[in-house]
Amino acid sequence: MVREIITYPQQPSLEFGVNVRKFDEELFSLLDDLKDTIKENNLDGLAAFQIGNYFNVVVVKDENGDFIELVNPRIIRHSDKTVEEESTAYFPGLSAQVARYNDISVVYQDRKGNDKSLQAKGKLARVIQRKVDYTFGGNFLTKLSAEEKKRFEEKLGGKSDIAVGGVCPTTFVRDKFMLGANILTALMIVNFIVSFFVSDTLKETLWNVQLYSSFGVVGLNIAYFFYGLYEGHIYKQCTSCQVGNFIGSVAISLVKLTVIMLLSYYFM
Amino acid sequence: MARLVVLGGGVAGHTAATFAAKWLGSQHEVVVVTPNSKWNWIPSNIWVGVGQMTREDVTFELAPVYKKGGITYKQAKAVSIHPEGGENHEKSFVTIEYTGQNKAGETEEVEFDYLINATGPKLNFGATPGLGEGSQIGEHTVSVCTADHAVHASQELKKVFEKAKAGEKQKILIGTGHGMCTCQGAAFEYIFNIEHEARKAGVRDNIELKWISNEPFLGDFGMGGLHMKVGGYVVSSRLFAESLYAERDVEWIIGAHVNKVEAGKVHYELLDGSMGEEEFDFAMLIPPFAGVGLKAYDKDGNDITDTVFAPNGFMKVDADYTPKPYEEWKASDWPRTYQNPTYKNLFAAGIAFAPPHIISKPAKSPNGTVINPTPPRTGMPSGIIGKAVAHSVCDLITKGENAHLHEASMAEMGAACVASAGKGILDGQAAAMTVYPVVPDFDKYPGTGRDTDYTFGEIGLAGHWIKHILHHLFIYKAKLNPGWTMIPE
Repeated sequence: MVREIITYPQQPSLEFGVNVRKFDEELFSLLDDLKDTIKENNLDGLAAFQIGNYFNVVVVKDENGDFIELVNPRIIRHSDKTVEEESTAYFPGLSAQVARYNDISVVYQDRKGNDKSLQAKGKLARVIQRKVDYTFGGNFLTKLSAEEKKRFEEKLGGKSDIAVGGVCPTTFVRDKFMLGANILTALMIVNFIVSFFVSDTLKETLWNVQLYSSFGVVGLNIAYFFYGLYEGHIYKQCTSCQVGNFIGSVAISLVKLTVIMLLSYYFM
Repeated sequence: MARLVVLGGGVAGHTAATFAAKWLGSQHEVVVVTPNSKWNWIPSNIWVGVGQMTREDVTFELAPVYKKGGITYKQAKAVSIHPEGGENHEKSFVTIEYTGQNKAGETEEVEFDYLINATGPKLNFGATPGLGEGSQIGEHTVSVCTADHAVHASQELKKVFEKAKAGEKQKILIGTGHGMCTCQGAAFEYIFNIEHEARKAGVRDNIELKWISNEPFLGDFGMGGLHMKVGGYVVSSRLFAESLYAERDVEWIIGAHVNKVEAGKVHYELLDGSMGEEEFDFAMLIPPFAGVGLKAYDKDGNDITDTVFAPNGFMKVDADYTPKPYEEWKASDWPRTYQNPTYKNLFAAGIAFAPPHIISKPAKSPNGTVINPTPPRTGMPSGIIGKAVAHSVCDLITKGENAHLHEASMAEMGAACVASAGKGILDGQAAAMTVYPVVPDFDKYPGTGRDTDYTFGEIGLAGHWIKHILHHLFIYKAKLNPGWTMIPE
């Protein structure tokens, strides 16, 4: 069965690199689907990950156009690194200068689970390397030089945060909560300074403002933290969504608040 | 009064003994038998190996610490276990041979009610011709497995740096010295610390760095790899490692079984059956691990080593040792209580227990040579297992032999690991990784067998700071300083 090939900017699964442990009908069906999809799209090869399957399976066409089924492939030897123009089905119509080896040795299993090895050179070697990268959740972006990556990103429309694994936004909704907390904290500093130049009655009012503002800062931090956790579930691929970052940001904000409130308590 | 004897004073043994002594108090006796006079925080040995720490920074004298903890300390190596007692003993006993305390060479039979075997591994240099003899390292390579080895490695590395400084091209080879090694993480740390120091010393251009290991892919680490977050995106540890090696200009050979070491040259076989050679000026190759060679005897003196220990010399515990193909491996194969199935007063912890099988995908070359990493048991799982076993033994002693045993399956526990890639307060780097569970549970987590929400890693300066803090924290804990019980394993 011909399957849909995942293309940019569609987000592939975060599950990948899963070794095939059972050589059964599920595997045979996957291998057949990969071949059908390669034929239909006139490709050099496909990794299971490219059609949304997490198994460590690759099918490529050799120099004669015959299919080679690679189950659990590992590239264990390589030599003769060169940079060549390369394209991949994930970024249709685009290409980049990619550094790869021209001579590799691959160990793998066939559909019956027999251990095999293959020496590949030239174009076949490059295709296998590209497809094996997919089985480990990557694409050729991980192989580009910094300059080439920049050029490629420009081709994609100047977006700077693309990768397999999805898109990481440059701004998050949770940041608005933290921005609110920071603005409120800044106003509290102003309030504190102003309190030195006003009457005692007004000072009392300013203290109340300070108190309620502090509740606001705490509330915004709580909102930031929990909204951050929610966004962390949506953007699992983004390191800025790790809970450690939220804890750090909240801790910094609350330390600032504590200092201001202690000063306000003793001097206002 | 009951007596618990702990064999070994590494992470697992030290944790087990110190907690047991605290929980049992002075009503019962805890005895530690270890051939070493000093405790060694092994993860920092790589920094000793590049001259960034001294032997004294990573070790301390055990005797005063055990005195403080109320633990009887015997600086000796265990020779044989007699779980049924013997001619002169009604109770179980262990035969030990002193290595210090002015009694070197003397033997003693120490009776016990319970025994925790936490001897750690024998560094089996002798498994690879030329790598060494038995547990003794040979003359061609260096090691960072012990503090003394690391000091020697540092001295040899310094010579290489001096030659490089004089304009001589030098080749450094780091990795595993056999097809069935574990501890790739330590070698990984060492090669990148050397790379970091070479850059600092301004000799990087004259040094070629090469990695050789039995991993089927870079970043396997003996755990079948893991998911990393790099530059904001989730990738496999393979892509992370390949990027790091390429970025630091380190070439690699993987799927390799080093089968012979000569002066300046290793011979190896690859997973595809091909053979190769690699020359070097300096090589640090991790040896394979084996059991320390303890024997076991029944009451009549018959050898029952095969009953108590697996063929690799590690102690049999409550694991499922039935040989199974890869597709049938289950989380439930892994031990939970670490109690010997035959002799219920024997336990094992840390590297000393026999795992049911490896964690990575098994592999062998067409010539039949097994080339796959064996299971890592890093400090965190070893400490957790040591504490759980100590808890079980304490309950058996205080509540009776039907007490519930505490469990710490590696298929249900997570582990955190911080792998240094260069030491420096402002320019250091380390990869911080968490894995849950350590042993994949393919039934609970279809696919990789791991929970991807809790299996990730990231590299950066903060990781280095964490590694440095952990160094001081765990040494503080091991010295039983105030609040030591509150520091997690």
